[in-house]
Amino acid sequence: MNQILNNNIDPQWAWSEYKANDECPWNLRTAAHLYRRAGFGATHEEIVIAAGKEPLAEVDEIFAAKEPSSFANEMKSLADAAIASGNVRQLSAWWSYRMLHTPAQLLEKATLFWHGHFATSAEKVTQAKLMLTQNELLRSFSIGDFPELVMKVSHDPAMLLYLDSATNRKAHPNENFAREIMELFCLGEGNYTENDIRELARCFTGWEIRRDEFRFNPYQHDAGNKIIFGQTGEFSGEDGVKLVLEQKATPEFVVSKLIRFFVMDEPVADEALVAPLAKQFRNDGMRIEPILKRILKSNLFFSNYSIGRKVRSPVEFAIGLLRCLEGSTNTFALAEAMQTLGQGLMYPPSVKGWDGGRTWVNSSTLLGRSNLIRNLITNEKTRFGKQSLQDYFVGKELYSSRSIIDYMEGIAFAVPISDQAKDRIESLMKPDTPSSLVEGFHALCTLPEFQLG
Amino acid sequence: MKNFSRRSFLQSSSVGAAVVTFGGLAPSALQAAAEASKSGRILVVVELTGGNDGLNTVIPYADETYRKLRPKLSIPKNSVLRINDELGFHPSLRGFSELLEAGKLAVVQGVGYPDPNRSHFESMDIWQTCQRTTDVRNDGWLGRMLEEYSDSSGTDPAGIHLGTNKQPLSLLSRKLRFPSVRSLEQFRLQGIDKVQFRETVHDLADASRDNGNALLDFVQSSTSSAINASERLTATDAHYKSAVAYPENELAQQLQTVAKLISSGLQTSVYYVRLDGFDTHSKQPDAHQALLRQLGDSVNAFIADIDQMSMSDRVTVMAFSEFGRRVAENASEGTDHGTAGPMFLAGSLVKAGLIGKQPSLQNLEDGDLKHHTDFRQIYAAVIEDWFQCKSETILKGSFAPVKSFVTNS
Repeated sequence: MNQILNNNIDPQWAWSEYKANDECPWNLRTAAHLYRRAGFGATHEEIVIAAGKEPLAEVDEIFAAKEPSSFANEMKSLADAAIASGNVRQLSAWWSYRMLHTPAQLLEKATLFWHGHFATSAEKVTQAKLMLTQNELLRSFSIGDFPELVMKVSHDPAMLLYLDSATNRKAHPNENFAREIMELFCLGEGNYTENDIRELARCFTGWEIRRDEFRFNPYQHDAGNKIIFGQTGEFSGEDGVKLVLEQKATPEFVVSKLIRFFVMDEPVADEALVAPLAKQFRNDGMRIEPILKRILKSNLFFSNYSIGRKVRSPVEFAIGLLRCLEGSTNTFALAEAMQTLGQGLMYPPSVKGWDGGRTWVNSSTLLGRSNLIRNLITNEKTRFGKQSLQDYFVGKELYSSRSIIDYMEGIAFAVPISDQAKDRIESLMKPDTPSSLVEGFHALCTLPEFQLG
Repeated sequence: MKNFSRRSFLQSSSVGAAVVTFGGLAPSALQAAAEASKSGRILVVVELTGGNDGLNTVIPYADETYRKLRPKLSIPKNSVLRINDELGFHPSLRGFSELLEAGKLAVVQGVGYPDPNRSHFESMDIWQTCQRTTDVRNDGWLGRMLEEYSDSSGTDPAGIHLGTNKQPLSLLSRKLRFPSVRSLEQFRLQGIDKVQFRETVHDLADASRDNGNALLDFVQSSTSSAINASERLTATDAHYKSAVAYPENELAQQLQTVAKLISSGLQTSVYYVRLDGFDTHSKQPDAHQALLRQLGDSVNAFIADIDQMSMSDRVTVMAFSEFGRRVAENASEGTDHGTAGPMFLAGSLVKAGLIGKQPSLQNLEDGDLKHHTDFRQIYAAVIEDWFQCKSETILKGSFAPVKSFVTNS
């Protein structure tokens, strides 16, 4: 839908390493953009520091960021508590907390990408433990090797339960996983036949989940010859996965999705733009880190083709706002709110994940986003640098309404706000009381500009 | 909501921008649309998401092949709700069975399309856009129909999607935006009762941006529609009273919200709701039974409610799924993706009874049913006979309408 193909972006220019220039300068705006895309957002102070460094070195630093062991331990004990509750919604809250407070933002952003790619919903996989296991798998491979990730996901209990492949018998092969690994995980529609699906499904016979673990049952495996993509052999399930990974379409499909997620919703990258990256991805053994680094270091990424050219997802919208103001809140309520807006962590709408882009936006979600802003800033559980929003701004020496608006524009807006809009919001914020701050701040974050990242 | 002035709201919205108010049509189109629509008719679409098992919905209970191919899943003869000597409803579809007896349900059998695609998403997109994957798909059939049909002289949205999931592709339009509504309460913008706040967000959403960012233009027009729609829809909630007891499930809730909106006199022509969960690859019996009960009981209650409002000659419900399921059951007490299946039309003016033929269980294609009726023939009936529009451009092809409504409707 709405695929505006782009034919005038020069791939050579697009994927060359970014050098700051007049048209695409390296400054506070581009530094904030980098943080929004390689993570969820950054504070004013973080942006100022980043803008003082070399952009490409800054990208390297973002990739090198590790969770300190204290943070990892805290996450582990919180995860254990979530599992003990038996409530997957606690796990959604846990992940929201992690996104909100992690010093290694890229890891969470990439994990979110793969969660949408290998989408599995706790609506069906009701065991929190299995959802956590999958989440940890996605995190540990989030910038790792794609082929290994696909193989691990193929054996992942949550995934196989989700796709009804917990039993898979010789006499009645279940086609669900075979279909989705081709259509949604590796190749994309049109790059395989219905017969390929049926034959691949035979490879997966004998794959089972028993006591929450993957098991191969040789008695139920169809060991006969299969013909997949024109190749014949007594393929096992693992052979089948490898055959899919070897297809030419795989690197193209994955790279296209990475570009859309990290660079721009529109236009959809055309074949010429995808080709150089797909080639590198293939030659590199489909390792994710090098290709993602190239994307985030590119001219295209730091250009106006990218800045402000994505509709923020509910997670990017809410976590982003809180992160750039050192915010913390009741993450259980936050996770629920994000789900209402269309992005439930651990609850993607289908195996296709989230369509993203314009589909995030409709009257209901826009009103919901606006209401979420007011709920967040008026909720006493929400603190900004451990203070109220008003005290936080005072602590930043922002004494006038206009200075608050300008400050917010710098850290939270990818698209500039018109002077006329600033004037209107300023007069709403004018009498400097906490309630007028709420009105003005709410109106500011209801601006259409705030939906773009 | 007490000090609320809709007039000031509407006056402050600029009509010149391409998409500002509900209908969002340019003025010349507004007029044409107003002339095109006189009937005030309403279509409520119920999407059965995931691929409904048609064979266990409208059951060929007398056919031995059915029993042979479904040793575990076949419904026993004596428990189906008989339609005739060959076919019967699933026992939990009492709601449909009653509607059929009351002359308010049409069952169109064997609906599908040539060269069927068994991917949920592809097949759903085909149903929603009437176009194949190789075509440019930038709008949906309902979106195109509402561009032609909708009576946009008022300020109400031509179509409304009920639910929090993404909007159906069928409602995508290049000219119109349709709101998604979960509940009327949720549709109320907090702070909107404060005049200065309301005017500020309203005016700032309305002001057109001119910076060459198509996404921003899209978000701007959507925000503008949202704020307008919020005011209108929250104001309607007070009017509704009903003696009908709806069952307690999400579909029923959504249909009741539709009933409320209709009773408030909203000039909306199409409502869209979903019932998800039909992808029954494993342990089908319980899940399918619960879904069909929800479907039958909820639609039954909705039609009763509409009857009580004396609106029954204005409302039709249409239920469809992206495909039926494989004839033979699989080893997990489920069924895999298939092809043709039944569609349902409910309301006082539908041509009640069975329409078309049940596909043969002997003459299969790759283990799947062959369709008799193209889904676009039902759409054609809805467009031409219900909404009295020409269907060819909307459906991107010429399809003979299947007689689905009583004459002169």
